[in-house]
Amino acid sequence: MTQPKARWLEITAIVVVIAAVVRGLTVEADVTQGDVQRIMYVHVPAAWLAFLAFGVTVVGSVAWLRTRRRTWDRLAAASAEIGVVFTGLAILAGMIWARPVWGQFWTWEPRLVTTALLFFVYLGYLALRRAVLDPEQRARRAAIMGIVAFIQIPIVYQSVNWWRSLHQTSSRNSIDGPLRLTLWLAVLAFTFAYAVMLSRRLELARLEDELEQARLAGTPDVAGAAITAPTLEGVTRG
Amino acid sequence: MPFWAQVREIARKDLVIEIRTAEVLLMTVPFAAAALVLIPFAIGTDAPLLAELGPGLFWIVVLLFGVLVILRKSAVDEGPQQDLVRLLGIDPAARFTGSTVATSLLVLLFEVALLPILIALYNPDLGGWWWMAAVLPLVAAGLGLLGSLTGGVTASLGTRTSLTPLLIVPLALPLLVGATQAVESLQLGRSILPWLVLLAAVDLALAVSGVLAARPLEEVTT
Repeated sequence: MTQPKARWLEITAIVVVIAAVVRGLTVEADVTQGDVQRIMYVHVPAAWLAFLAFGVTVVGSVAWLRTRRRTWDRLAAASAEIGVVFTGLAILAGMIWARPVWGQFWTWEPRLVTTALLFFVYLGYLALRRAVLDPEQRARRAAIMGIVAFIQIPIVYQSVNWWRSLHQTSSRNSIDGPLRLTLWLAVLAFTFAYAVMLSRRLELARLEDELEQARLAGTPDVAGAAITAPTLEGVTRG
Repeated sequence: MPFWAQVREIARKDLVIEIRTAEVLLMTVPFAAAALVLIPFAIGTDAPLLAELGPGLFWIVVLLFGVLVILRKSAVDEGPQQDLVRLLGIDPAARFTGSTVATSLLVLLFEVALLPILIALYNPDLGGWWWMAAVLPLVAAGLGLLGSLTGGVTASLGTRTSLTPLLIVPLALPLLVGATQAVESLQLGRSILPWLVLLAAVDLALAVSGVLAARPLEEVTT
């Protein structure tokens, strides 16, 4: 059942997202790029959310290593899953924007390549989690990987400054007036959406853990239970 | 036993096993050399083009085939070996450092073995290549550290051979960038110091992460 706090968070998120969508679709178009520029209201917040989500994964990983509390592991995992979704969305939105503006979906420029690799780093993190069945072992391995993986974030962020590239350095400084306000509203909307998704995913992870523990606490199978005697017309031969 | 003596013994153990099996020298190096021979058939045998692409291809081959060095048999301690190391009271940080030193030395050997093959086949511009004496060890150390970290988190998993490359290759981006940009700077006559600093900084960050994560990594295999 959804708690009142979570309910209020969801209602606020819906309101802010609707406001951002309406604002994003109705604000004046960019003078040079036209309507294509509106994709930035998805691309930039998605990229920001990816950074935030992976930052939360590091916090969860460090906290798990210090406290060994399952809540932190669930937080790290949930945030990484959402981060991967937002990284994929940022790449996709960027590609859709690049086609009319740069003339092609993909160019070999540092921000794109480093973001794509960031996507693979965290796919690897999620693959690692799936590969380990024991919850304690999974949390331990994932916590180490969650911390090491974060090394990629400053590289993605700084890539446009370190290497000459087509990608603009920072969207905050390249637009102003109503467009800038719209971008900030979109960032706020995405942040609320992230908070709601994280809250829901954490609840789901908690229920998954409870189910797993209930299964483990059940009557253990006797030796050889996996091998059942052949049956004939529903009758077990004993 | 002092910390560095433990490190030396662990590294020596890994290297002795490797000398006995010669997995890197007799299997991985020829495999990577075969790739360097095959690549021109895919991209064209235009000599100036190959001379230009050669250094970049070298680093790609080092990165991708270097994963095989990291995944070699001698890098994996079986249950009884792990138990013995624990019973001997070896510090987890010394164990991590020792296995990293061994892997880094083997990656360096792998790089050094491939370099003359690259020069012979691709004929790249060799101006200022003595700087490679600094670049090769830094890349080898970075790959060794990444290998020990990711190898630690995937230890004893059934999917280790598939999962470890997926974890290493994207994370090796700063090493690849540092190495390729250093070579490009040499060819353009610019300073390569910023790229050496980048490689050293990445190695340092990985080394600190590895030493801090050594105990949890030890518990992974408990």
